[in-house]
Amino acid sequence: MLYLRVAEQELVQLYLDKKLFSMVHFYVGQEAVAVGVCDALKPEDKVMGNHRSHGHYLAKGGNFRRMVCELLGRANGLARGKGGSMHMIDKSVNFIGSTPLLGSVVPLATGVAFEQKYNKRDTITTAFFGDGASEEGVVYESYNLAALYQVPLLLIVENNLFAINSKLKDRRAPGHSLEKIVSGFGIEYRKADGNDYKDVTTKAKELADFVRREKRPAMLECITYRHMAHSTPLMDEKYREVDTLEERTKQDSIAKLKVELLAGGTKESELALMEAELKKSVLADIQFALESPFPPKEDIYTDMYAE
Amino acid sequence: MEQRIIKYAEAIKEATKQILESDKSAFLMGLGVPQGAAGTAVGLKDLFPTQVLDTPTSEAALTGMAVGAAISGLHPMVYHERVEFSLLAGDAIFTQAAKWNYMFGGDNPVPVVLRIAVGRQWGNGPQHSQALYSLFGAVRGLKVVIPSTPHMMKGLLISAVKDKNPVVILEPRWLYQVKGHVPEEMYTEPLDKARVVKEGKDVTVVAYGDAFVDTLAALKLIPQDISVELIDLVSINPIDYQTIAKSVEKTGRLLCVDSTNSAFSIGSEIIAKVAENPVGLTQAPVSVAAPDVPVPTSPALSEFWYPTKVDIANGILKMFGKPLLDIKLPFEELHLAPTTTLE
Repeated sequence: MLYLRVAEQELVQLYLDKKLFSMVHFYVGQEAVAVGVCDALKPEDKVMGNHRSHGHYLAKGGNFRRMVCELLGRANGLARGKGGSMHMIDKSVNFIGSTPLLGSVVPLATGVAFEQKYNKRDTITTAFFGDGASEEGVVYESYNLAALYQVPLLLIVENNLFAINSKLKDRRAPGHSLEKIVSGFGIEYRKADGNDYKDVTTKAKELADFVRREKRPAMLECITYRHMAHSTPLMDEKYREVDTLEERTKQDSIAKLKVELLAGGTKESELALMEAELKKSVLADIQFALESPFPPKEDIYTDMYAE
Repeated sequence: MEQRIIKYAEAIKEATKQILESDKSAFLMGLGVPQGAAGTAVGLKDLFPTQVLDTPTSEAALTGMAVGAAISGLHPMVYHERVEFSLLAGDAIFTQAAKWNYMFGGDNPVPVVLRIAVGRQWGNGPQHSQALYSLFGAVRGLKVVIPSTPHMMKGLLISAVKDKNPVVILEPRWLYQVKGHVPEEMYTEPLDKARVVKEGKDVTVVAYGDAFVDTLAALKLIPQDISVELIDLVSINPIDYQTIAKSVEKTGRLLCVDSTNSAFSIGSEIIAKVAENPVGLTQAPVSVAAPDVPVPTSPALSEFWYPTKVDIANGILKMFGKPLLDIKLPFEELHLAPTTTLE
């Protein structure tokens, strides 16, 4: 979790220096969700994400160096510079792809899980998407399909209270209940405190086991806070009511873990050393990316079709 | 040996059956597919219970699911009964399937086949008989074919399933009962090549789908001394400009036929490309297409919407300064799907 935080904080600097030429949605604040969920999965389980997937990818065991090469549009990036921040992919760690069209990941992941059922595999598929995406029509259709075909799909809703800057209460009818909606489709539902690693990972493990055993879909809704703006690193405050700066600081999952570690006997200096080492490694990867070659212009024409 | 003659819809069913038999990662899904899908899948559910799936009326999700299954290595064939229904799956088709391999830098095949029924059908009007060829032709990353005969239909469907990319087959439902020679064994037809069906030296006529069948009939109405080179376009994404340019260089004249709106049509795209490099062209190219308004329902109006074989013949005759035909076609020929046997 700290690695995700340190890595993205350095990406913020790259962004501010205008070296990062890709639309970026920072994950800062939501780390407990990605790490809590991915820790509950097996390496051979598949994961798909959305526009805000740096954290999902890294938590699944992704390679930060290749990720940052992609963010900087380099030839050795995850998608050879053609995708950018919103298109994470790395099949070597079973991260099957992220796509920024809201809700699109849910039918796609249903299909990936359908293959696992079709070929009688013991693996499951996890899809990360947000509270905004969960309002798309295709997502409701996909709940029905996933339940109808009984596919091993774990749905993770990261409810950070905002669709861009629009509040839940302005988007949902009074009495709206995601639990009631998905339960109506026969999908097992749990809610977790998305700012608490232990709560997320315990419930994610329960549901991952359930999906693997029962071969049918389940959903974990994680209530969490997005520390930055929708797609810039600004710490914008004007539209926030619940997740004020004070509340975000108080509920920060990483700060809470630090308190626990210190209480358990870990020394402050050990934590500082750990953070310094992570930062060193992140900076080395960023330097590597900055020195990596851009793709040649001929690459415009490659890869439209698979050979 | 006597050639085996079967219907276009039967060619689809036969190809599907052979695909499901020989490729266990292939499956067919769509609303009403187990009930036969307009004669293209009759009885297949009984033969392949796990490979033929009925679906909810959720085009967006079921198409997205098929794309997801394809990126995991399965070979889904999705059937959309009307092109208007497939538009509800626009994200899955145009933004996900079409972009997947490119946006991830290659090595990410999406072997999904979308069979989408398009075009005319008696009494179906503005929202049930669009063709929208140019929409599918315009989006990069898709392969899009329009089979004009039962023979092409079977070969193209088998090629589509073997291909690693999203292939859209736009099936003119007007042709479902048209008959023609189809070999019993499995065979493939290239997805990206136009075919010269008849060689000629005076004018190149490019047509596809139901307009191709009407053009075959039109050629019987014009005098023998006009030598027509007839090209079945086959693929609209990509378009095989090489075959067309080679033909135009020889004949010096070009006429394109579309059985849908003239605006942004496949014909106008071809004419524009030929005009950019008009090697050998001796005369302004001609487009025969439908008027630029939606399809009306009343037969009294739709009669004047679709270009007929007479309109196509007159387009050719006009290019040569010949007198035009004045033939009134019978109601059946104007408004009911053909059951003709193609040579």
